[in-house]
Amino acid sequence: MQIELTEFSDGRWPWWIAGPALGMLVVGFFLVSNQPLGASGAYAETAKVLTGRKDAVSWRVWYLIGIPVGGFLGITLVGNGFDARTGYEPLVEAWNSNWIVGAVVLVGATVMGYGARMAGGCTSGHGICGTAQRSPASLAATGTFMAVAIATTFLLGLAGVK
Amino acid sequence: MQSSLGHKVAGLLFGAGFGFVLAAAKLHEYEVIHAMLRLEEAYTFLLMAGAIGVSMPLLWLLDRAKITTLLGGRIALSRSKVTKANIVGGALFGLGWAVSGTCPGPAVVMLSSGAGLAVLTVLGLFLGLTIRDRQVARNGGSATVGDGEQRLVATP
Repeated sequence: MQIELTEFSDGRWPWWIAGPALGMLVVGFFLVSNQPLGASGAYAETAKVLTGRKDAVSWRVWYLIGIPVGGFLGITLVGNGFDARTGYEPLVEAWNSNWIVGAVVLVGATVMGYGARMAGGCTSGHGICGTAQRSPASLAATGTFMAVAIATTFLLGLAGVK
Repeated sequence: MQSSLGHKVAGLLFGAGFGFVLAAAKLHEYEVIHAMLRLEEAYTFLLMAGAIGVSMPLLWLLDRAKITTLLGGRIALSRSKVTKANIVGGALFGLGWAVSGTCPGPAVVMLSSGAGLAVLTVLGLFLGLTIRDRQVARNGGSATVGDGEQRLVATP
């Protein structure tokens, strides 16, 4: 079964479907649970559960499990299906080594996780849910990470990384 | 803190919905994120604007109407003041985001789409978050829980 909502030749949902759909999920979750849908906090609560701490917010773990499950469904029904690959083909092509790419990605993700926990959220938390609540803290964090990510990508581009 | 069954089921379903849309928009693809960050493609910016454009006015209206939510009591929006941690943390997050080409939500979709190196991305995220939590705990504080993360409300 294929869900035909595609505008692009690569089969993505058009932004004017995917964006509002995401927005409705945010509103829907407020209507049901009165909570925002930040992803980085779900990692933090899951880490607490994995290390046996008793103060973890357990619904967040179910939320973090739901994301890859729904993602798999989306890839199967809308996308091109499960595809065993590195996921970092442009970097692997540039550096010609899975090991180097793996090490760089691990360090990058560690910095990202540290930063998300320090800032109190990530792209979904601050970027969408916090901004949608008109939170000054979320707007400031979102503006900062957007600007720094764009600048970093530009510098990586100068260094030959696509 | 043990959540009620309703909160867990809602978390699972909305997580699945979130993951589905991320996958349908291919936000779990390194190329899509980098095309946005290189400012070569407006798609992801427009998508985010679409999400906020729909949810911001609706949340404003629901808050004004003081509606009661199904499981969480009277609706409550969070609107914290800016702190230095928002800015410094945001900058570090942006740096890591550009390097790893994905963020916390899409990273787990990357994994379930078959991207092998995403194992390291997810591992790194857990590592970084835990390092920060440990550091804050050593200094006797508790982690910043931003306005987009879970908060304690009437019926948890």
